[in-house]
Amino acid sequence: MLTSNHWNILRSLMNRIIPPDDFPDAWEAGVGNYLSRQFERDLQHQVETYHLGLEALEAGSQAFAGKSFTELDASAQDMLLSRIETGQVTLSWSVNPPEFFHMVIIHVMEGYYSDPGNEGNRDSVAWQMIGFEPRE
Amino acid sequence: MIRYDVIIVGAGAGGGVAAGVLAEAGKRVLLLERGGQLSFEHDPHDHLRHQRFSRYGHNAGPDIRGNPRVTVDAQGQTRVIYPHEDGYQNNAAVIGGGTRVYGAQAWRFLPQDFRMASLYGIPTGSSLADWPISYADLEPYYERAEWEIGVAGDGIASARHWPRRTGFPMPPLPVNKQGQALRAGASKLGWEALPIPALINTVPYNARPACIQCQYCVGFTCPVDAKNGTHNTLISRALATGYCDLVTEAMVVRIDIEASGRVSGVSYFDRAGQRQSAQAEVVICAGGAIETARLLLNSASLRHPHGLGNQHDQVGRHLQGHYYPAAVGLMSEPVYEGVGPGISTATIQFNHGNSDIIGGAMLADEFIELPVIFWSRQLPLDLPRWGMENKRFMRENYTRVMRVTGPVQEIPSPEARVTLDPSVRDRWGMPVARLSGTTHMETVRTAAFMFERAREWLQASGAVRVWGQPPGLYLSGGQHQAGTCRMGDDPHTSVVDQWGRVHGHDNLFAADGSVHVTNGGFNPVLTILALAFRTAERLAKSW
Repeated sequence: MLTSNHWNILRSLMNRIIPPDDFPDAWEAGVGNYLSRQFERDLQHQVETYHLGLEALEAGSQAFAGKSFTELDASAQDMLLSRIETGQVTLSWSVNPPEFFHMVIIHVMEGYYSDPGNEGNRDSVAWQMIGFEPRE
Repeated sequence: MIRYDVIIVGAGAGGGVAAGVLAEAGKRVLLLERGGQLSFEHDPHDHLRHQRFSRYGHNAGPDIRGNPRVTVDAQGQTRVIYPHEDGYQNNAAVIGGGTRVYGAQAWRFLPQDFRMASLYGIPTGSSLADWPISYADLEPYYERAEWEIGVAGDGIASARHWPRRTGFPMPPLPVNKQGQALRAGASKLGWEALPIPALINTVPYNARPACIQCQYCVGFTCPVDAKNGTHNTLISRALATGYCDLVTEAMVVRIDIEASGRVSGVSYFDRAGQRQSAQAEVVICAGGAIETARLLLNSASLRHPHGLGNQHDQVGRHLQGHYYPAAVGLMSEPVYEGVGPGISTATIQFNHGNSDIIGGAMLADEFIELPVIFWSRQLPLDLPRWGMENKRFMRENYTRVMRVTGPVQEIPSPEARVTLDPSVRDRWGMPVARLSGTTHMETVRTAAFMFERAREWLQASGAVRVWGQPPGLYLSGGQHQAGTCRMGDDPHTSVVDQWGRVHGHDNLFAADGSVHVTNGGFNPVLTILALAFRTAERLAKSW
């Protein structure tokens, strides 16, 4: 199970993967709902990886800047994530840092760009943004 | 127990046609399908679980539990693999098989495609061979498939390349903006652009309506039943005769055989998990190239220790599908306008006659890509995968990107094969398919050549930027799987004769992609359908 603290870190993380502009960020578009459902369905086996990865990210943030990942400004969050993406971590991680980050990216994109039936992409907002207009 | 005239294993393209032809000829048919009925109402447009993008499962089966396979990589490492994963080489398991959810491109193979060894020689290490039949032998059955199942196309354009007696029953698909751009590009290059023939109603046909041009087609069932497969044509006709019993969720595990070498029927597990047996004069295997090979191998006995039809170690070899080298182009103006299915335009300029290249491929434009597939497969290789730059690219370019790709005719290798795994079993306790080997290196060379042609076409069509990369060496199969029970006159180098009859077994047949000697540089379904018409018609007349 992820704690509310894990969810706060995950929310900040997904909102750097898909940041806000005049269209919503990942959380606002419902990617949290998507993941919450998937953690009980197809991604049950990855909950522990999320748990470990989010804690490592948080520890990395404390070591990097002396505060929580959720409290970093966007450019500092991006800088830290770029290091994780390329495996430049200072602390020891219990999961592979680039693999963890890559996995989260894919899951966030699934939630944002797939059909609202999967509980992300609220009101088809991602499709409105890119111009995909399905007629059902 | 009812004794049938014919038992058909698999209600897909080939099995569906065979059921229709034989039932209408008055034969009592038992059609066994491991999957079930898939209705549109039960096919939610789930972007993460369908035949085109099966991240977490399939809409048209098979179930991701209980149906594993084993893959063996180049280093000999084995891995258990599940139906929704890359490398499983999945084919839909449902009434209609792949035709229930396919993109429905309806190409004939070219006359040259039946004579590949004669035209090109046999590369070292490959099992390239001629077919025992010619295009002319199959032409009447291509025509039957086009009219009885229903193809929309341009008969005049088609007749420039394929000798044909008639046109198509319906006019071709609409040309959208990407098709217009590519037609202009082809014209600039001096290439001929062809309308894509499709098994889709463009006008009402066979008492069903015309396509409504929705954005969901490939991978899904049709909302208005305008996509034509065996489920809504030959299987419906078979059932209407009263001579065909269709049993779904029936997994055939063994072909039963008498001491004389004649088969007597099949054993299967029904939906309740009970083992059943059924008897017939004739058994036709139509489970797709991988499952048909597995069934023949799993039917080994004291008298046939290596499986049925396998006295010369041919069953399961020459597994092939298609390589799809894809180039993606960014246009300065939007080319997406929401008119489905999206495909309209192809060229067959490079299927044959390429200098120092064996065979080639048809190249075509693409179906409307769902956004999550677009993100997964079509972004520039150097674009960041996250952050504002990624979001901005999606936002600005989803409607301005188009993709050109096509099925490269594979040069078969005898080492690309289906065998039985010695330890992994399916939910019915049967050894699962073990997939090993790769295609021949010549396929990789042809794919690299076709990638350059795709790039060239996009550039001539106004793309401001083109990306992609040609594929490396791997095993393909997938929905286009073929070749594992190839037809031929010589039992030492083939599994079935030109009528689909398994060498050495008078009343055992195959009627699916497994009998293809080579797989053309085209989507293979019309050839599977045509061959099944030919095999079933001959069989119906023979007794």
